Amino acid sequence: MPAGRPGPAAQSARRPPPPLPLLLLCVLGAPRAGSGAHTAVISPQDPTLLIGSSLQATCSVHGDPPGTTAEGLYWTLNGRRLAPELSRVLNASTLALALANLNGSRQQSGDNLVCHARDGSILAGSCLYVGLPPEKPFNISCWSKNMKDLTCRWTPGAHGETFLHTNYSLKYKLRWYGQDNTCEEYHTVGPHSCHIPKDLALFTPYEIWVEATNRLGSARSDVLTLDILDVVTTDPPPDVHVSRVGGLEDQLSVRWVSPPALKDFLFQAKYQIRYRVEDSVDWKVVDDVSNQTSCRLAGLKPGTVYFVQVRCNPFGIYGSKKAGIWSEWSHPTAASTPRSERPGPGGGACEPRGGEPSSGPVRRELKQFLGWLKKHAYCSNLSFRLYDQWRAWMQKTHKTRNQDEGILPSGRRGTTRGPAR
Amino acid sequence: MSRREGSLEDPQADSSISPLPHLEAKIHQTHSLARLLTKYAEQLLQEYVQHQGDPFGLPGFSPPRLPVAGLSAPAPGHAGLPAAERLQLDAGALSLLPPLLDVVRRHQAELNPRALRLLRRLEDAARQARALGAAVEAVLAALGAETRGPRPEPAVAAAAAAATDAGVFPAKVLGLRVCGLYREWVSRTEGDLGQLVPGGPA
Repeated sequence: MPAGRPGPAAQSARRPPPPLPLLLLCVLGAPRAGSGAHTAVISPQDPTLLIGSSLQATCSVHGDPPGTTAEGLYWTLNGRRLAPELSRVLNASTLALALANLNGSRQQSGDNLVCHARDGSILAGSCLYVGLPPEKPFNISCWSKNMKDLTCRWTPGAHGETFLHTNYSLKYKLRWYGQDNTCEEYHTVGPHSCHIPKDLALFTPYEIWVEATNRLGSARSDVLTLDILDVVTTDPPPDVHVSRVGGLEDQLSVRWVSPPALKDFLFQAKYQIRYRVEDSVDWKVVDDVSNQTSCRLAGLKPGTVYFVQVRCNPFGIYGSKKAGIWSEWSHPTAASTPRSERPGPGGGACEPRGGEPSSGPVRRELKQFLGWLKKHAYCSNLSFRLYDQWRAWMQKTHKTRNQDEGILPSGRRGTTRGPAR
Repeated sequence: MSRREGSLEDPQADSSISPLPHLEAKIHQTHSLARLLTKYAEQLLQEYVQHQGDPFGLPGFSPPRLPVAGLSAPAPGHAGLPAAERLQLDAGALSLLPPLLDVVRRHQAELNPRALRLLRRLEDAARQARALGAAVEAVLAALGAETRGPRPEPAVAAAAAAATDAGVFPAKVLGLRVCGLYREWVSRTEGDLGQLVPGGPA
């Protein structure tokens, strides 16, 4: 390798600097006069090739003295020396290379093919771009946050691996008129996404597609047609509060506020609630919460911390017939059910057993019975609230009776509730 | 702090110079900046070679270290020069680097468009070189030494940009050279200022 020589900086220290010459970088170009150094040119320069194709390249040396031999020259590709049998001397100053069945480029800036002199010094370089043309992007999905913007996501064809830098461009236009527009804010929700922040029309369909381009070609996705109103989502419901229901050990009350951004628009919101026990990863989902901003969770374990989340679907906005898009879940809110007062076998907190009124199936059947009673027995005042009030009264009564009779809470089986086992 | 007599012309007397307190603070501050930028320059170089692919990151890789548009590495005799001349050379080199770094950044934006951190580091380096150069010029002015005027940036940028037209590989090598020169000159500036810091090496 040629040693570095001191530049002109030191020599110019004691005199005014010379006018800046328009020097080209002489790394691999013209030889330095009188230096005895050689340089070369590789052909082709920076070719683009398909995976599996072949490459014929040459390294032509020129230097001082003229007629420099190509003997002793060798090639490296990405720093690895290529086998001698891949090269041959074409003439006195040219070394040829034949590569077959090329693999995809190792880096997007191109594979580095370098021609070296006998002493290892670098004479010339060329960057190879080996890859595939892009395949058709697909699976475009879009959503609008509160009708103000549009975000779209897509899947690149061939799982995105073209080995070449591939540019993706999201395009959109109004279906019946207007020019093509190009989305400008990329990678907002992942590598293949784009965000259109403003100037979107409602009540009229858009056509949206993705164009993929690289050095070997281009591809275009199918066109997605949509109306902004059909893909609206919103913020999670704010102000989610979870609280106990009096002393009821198996219930929690959840309240929230409808998302304020859409409060001025006519829509029927749907809500979903999900909850889980503190140390569990399994969520239970309550689906049938339509257009209400409160719900009571029942059938819960006493003395247990629960995490609760709520989300909103603003379906039917401005009369849209589509299903709408669920918001993100609200931040988890935690609350605990009251600890059970009833003594259990061996002491400790009791869990609701099968047959007890607080268990799920019994409660459902009770609900159905109450509904039937209201219809057929003209008991219009019957409701779950009345039932809960009765349960709270029963618990209080049981507690008072135990205190009067001096019954200790542990080691004794309860007498007013169902069997402990 | 009292002023001691000394001469900027005499290298032996460099350590006897006692600048005014505000000048001392300025030298200290500029030295700290140079030290920080030396670290950043090292990181830039590492990031740069990663994105060019082998052999750029390999230990034995050594393309010819020729001048870039009139800018060379600090000469071996640099350390023996008087303090003011060393700082003048530092300031001159630092003023040449920003347009070169800009050229490298533009080229890397085409070659490695997803390498956002590299592109940001190149942009920051150009800005930081200007800032350090201006700070060194301010120290020189406070010391009563002559400062260099601004270099004609368009000529430097044009020279470097023309080099990149020769192909991708020469452009990669140019970028390596520029990042290397940036590291060398920032490090050299740190060393030169360190000798002016009170309590620093004579």
